Amino acid sequence: MREEITYGTVAGYGLTRKSTIWETLTSERYFKWTLLIPLIILLGIFMVYPLLYCAYYSFHQWGMRGDALYVGAQNYRQLLNDKAFLESLYQTFKVLIICIVCELLIGLGLALLWSREFRGENVVRGLALLPLLVAPLILSLLWNFMFEYDFGAVNIVLQSLGLNKIYWWSPERALYSICFITIWQWFPFATFVLVAGLRSLPKDVFEAARVDGASPWYTFRRLTLPMLSPLIMIVVVLRTMWLIRLFDPLYGTTRGGVQTELLDWMVYRTAFIYFDIGYGSTMAIFSLVLTMAICAIMFRILMKALGGTK
Amino acid sequence: MKRNEIRWIIGIAMVVVFSFGLVFSGFAQEKFGLKNIPEIKNKKAINMMVETGAAWDKVIEYIKQFETATGVKVNIERVASPVVYSKENVELMAGTGYYDVVYVETSWTCEWSDYLFNLEELAAQYDPNGVAGFQEDIQNISPVLLRCGQAYGEQKVLPFYTYHMGMFIRQDVYDDPTEQANFKAKYGYDLKPPATEKELYDQAEFFTRKKGELLKGQPLEHDLYGVAMMAGAYQINDEISCRIWGKGGDYATVVRNEDGSLKEFVITAKDKEILKEALTEYKNLLKFAPAGCLTANFDFACAQQGEGYAIIQPHQFASLFTWTADLLKQHVPDGRLGVYPTIGGQPYTGAWSLGVAKASKNPEAAYWLVRYISSYELQKVLMKEGGQFSARMDLLLDPEFHTPETEYPLGLTCSYLVDVWKNQAPYVDNYWYFNTRAGGKVYEMQMNALHKPMADQVTIDECVQEVVAKTIELTSKFDTVPIREE
Repeated sequence: MREEITYGTVAGYGLTRKSTIWETLTSERYFKWTLLIPLIILLGIFMVYPLLYCAYYSFHQWGMRGDALYVGAQNYRQLLNDKAFLESLYQTFKVLIICIVCELLIGLGLALLWSREFRGENVVRGLALLPLLVAPLILSLLWNFMFEYDFGAVNIVLQSLGLNKIYWWSPERALYSICFITIWQWFPFATFVLVAGLRSLPKDVFEAARVDGASPWYTFRRLTLPMLSPLIMIVVVLRTMWLIRLFDPLYGTTRGGVQTELLDWMVYRTAFIYFDIGYGSTMAIFSLVLTMAICAIMFRILMKALGGTK
Repeated sequence: MKRNEIRWIIGIAMVVVFSFGLVFSGFAQEKFGLKNIPEIKNKKAINMMVETGAAWDKVIEYIKQFETATGVKVNIERVASPVVYSKENVELMAGTGYYDVVYVETSWTCEWSDYLFNLEELAAQYDPNGVAGFQEDIQNISPVLLRCGQAYGEQKVLPFYTYHMGMFIRQDVYDDPTEQANFKAKYGYDLKPPATEKELYDQAEFFTRKKGELLKGQPLEHDLYGVAMMAGAYQINDEISCRIWGKGGDYATVVRNEDGSLKEFVITAKDKEILKEALTEYKNLLKFAPAGCLTANFDFACAQQGEGYAIIQPHQFASLFTWTADLLKQHVPDGRLGVYPTIGGQPYTGAWSLGVAKASKNPEAAYWLVRYISSYELQKVLMKEGGQFSARMDLLLDPEFHTPETEYPLGLTCSYLVDVWKNQAPYVDNYWYFNTRAGGKVYEMQMNALHKPMADQVTIDECVQEVVAKTIELTSKFDTVPIREE
């Protein structure tokens, strides 16, 4: 809706004219929409539409041939009784917990070490970033070879140290090997976020604690950790979202075999190998809702943590 | 006319007839190649997808010659083989015509038959020599692979390289008198390439040895395994196919009407029993295989044998024989491989092939490109420079591949393929994979399902149940031919 602009008055009459489109778009009233609308359109096309499309097909049976057959909630009922799906959900949670705990512990430990100034710090930090710069699929292929039983570099090193070879891809260990690859790639992310956090902490509080004779452990527990908690929560929320969608390490290694079928691999297999679009969509919607629920809970905890540091 | 003149005339006539005969027989033997492609009227660019890898690096150079000769641009998209199916499937089903030339694994032929031209139809339309010219050229292709490229009697695709399987053994070990004597003493019969499951089991057991034990009279520097297999969730189904076909079974039995058309698919009690037996025997063999076999694909299995860690690959893609032999030569200089049919003599078969999409914007150029890539001329490039095994028997029998220098390992594999195709040809028509539109989907399902019992994720009985249930589910969804369990 165009605004009318008044320029002044001549003999009691206001000199007004319609504003130009540009003036309207950049006016204080509409400027926020001018900035938001392109994004909303893009989100609508690339996120909301596919999401609705996916939700629609989750109530249908369709294999990309002929018309989709409406089946009501049958796909959802099938999902909740699908042993393989529930197993993959359990495995996904296992990976989620193992990876987040390990990445945080390693990340925090290294962040505490690296937050101080030391010689060659830039080189060390640069090197630590390397795993993040490699494509996850390439990385998983490399680890697949390195973990090979007879020829793998890891077992060759173990043998040269007089230790026994380990069967890294056995059904008992394969999931943990996947976790290892993921942690190896992503611990620098936690490290750098926490290093940034540690460097921004107020120094006077720590100085006061030192003067009061607080032990390093007490200082860490009662000052450092609470003040870092918002950043820790950010790492946890982001990694949760990414880990629920974990796919590349499986593609380059077990391809879902040796008891490593995770949620996203199952969605991929159902939707893009069997082309069972209906059931695959149901899985995808379930995965989305699950991610949103977990992240919402974590977000609340994050907000509380942020409130606590004010 | 004098008698002498008559003699002269007859003599000249005979020479003329003989010369014509020679000339025409020369023409008949001339192989189809780039120069035989007529002018292509439709100049629209065509798109195709090919696999990544060294073989196609070479072929692409020759496709450029096709572009120059015909004036048709060929846009090539290179992808890794595991994504070929999903990318093409979407485009074919949506009818976009994005891929004019379709890259097809033969077990997908029936599934995509609605979207692919009958190549004879295109030959009739575009080939100056018509269907006869097309037939004359393709008669040189393996009958097994040609059949795999047919759907409901129509030739939909032409194979260009084969991954027909075989059994690789360490021939030098089998020929060693000490090993032969020890084997005979232990098992009571001669050591020879295994022809039965029992022989395979005995030999796998016999050759499984610890570091320090002897092989051919020499102490081993590392553990030795009887077999190397591909039990990962990727190629295990190809190995199981060798086993069930070899036992006279299949994933489902093809039942035909009197006129030869498809009536139904039945998963018979015999099929289930054979599948169970095949899985049990396979799992039993795993105890003689390297631990890494549970996640292994072809590369790991070949490396095991090529680096001297394993004696037998009971089922491996024959196209990998030369590579494995070269590896062995590097690691075990006096080592030598032999290639034989898998147990039961019906190895997994198939080929990467090319067809023309019905939605293509330029079927004429696409047809000629398919013909060109499957021609003797280009297949020779693929084989000599790209290291892939051609689907053409005339090429596999080319004397160039059977000289004393080329006979091992190249010529040996060529001879193996030609022989095994002859023996297997009568059976291919009824292999279930090549009669159902659900072949591609079921194949992918099997990769995962057949791997599970090997990783102790499910029992063999549970695996059989899952495979049967999923086969019925997917076939009912994607094929119009009814399927049932007996």
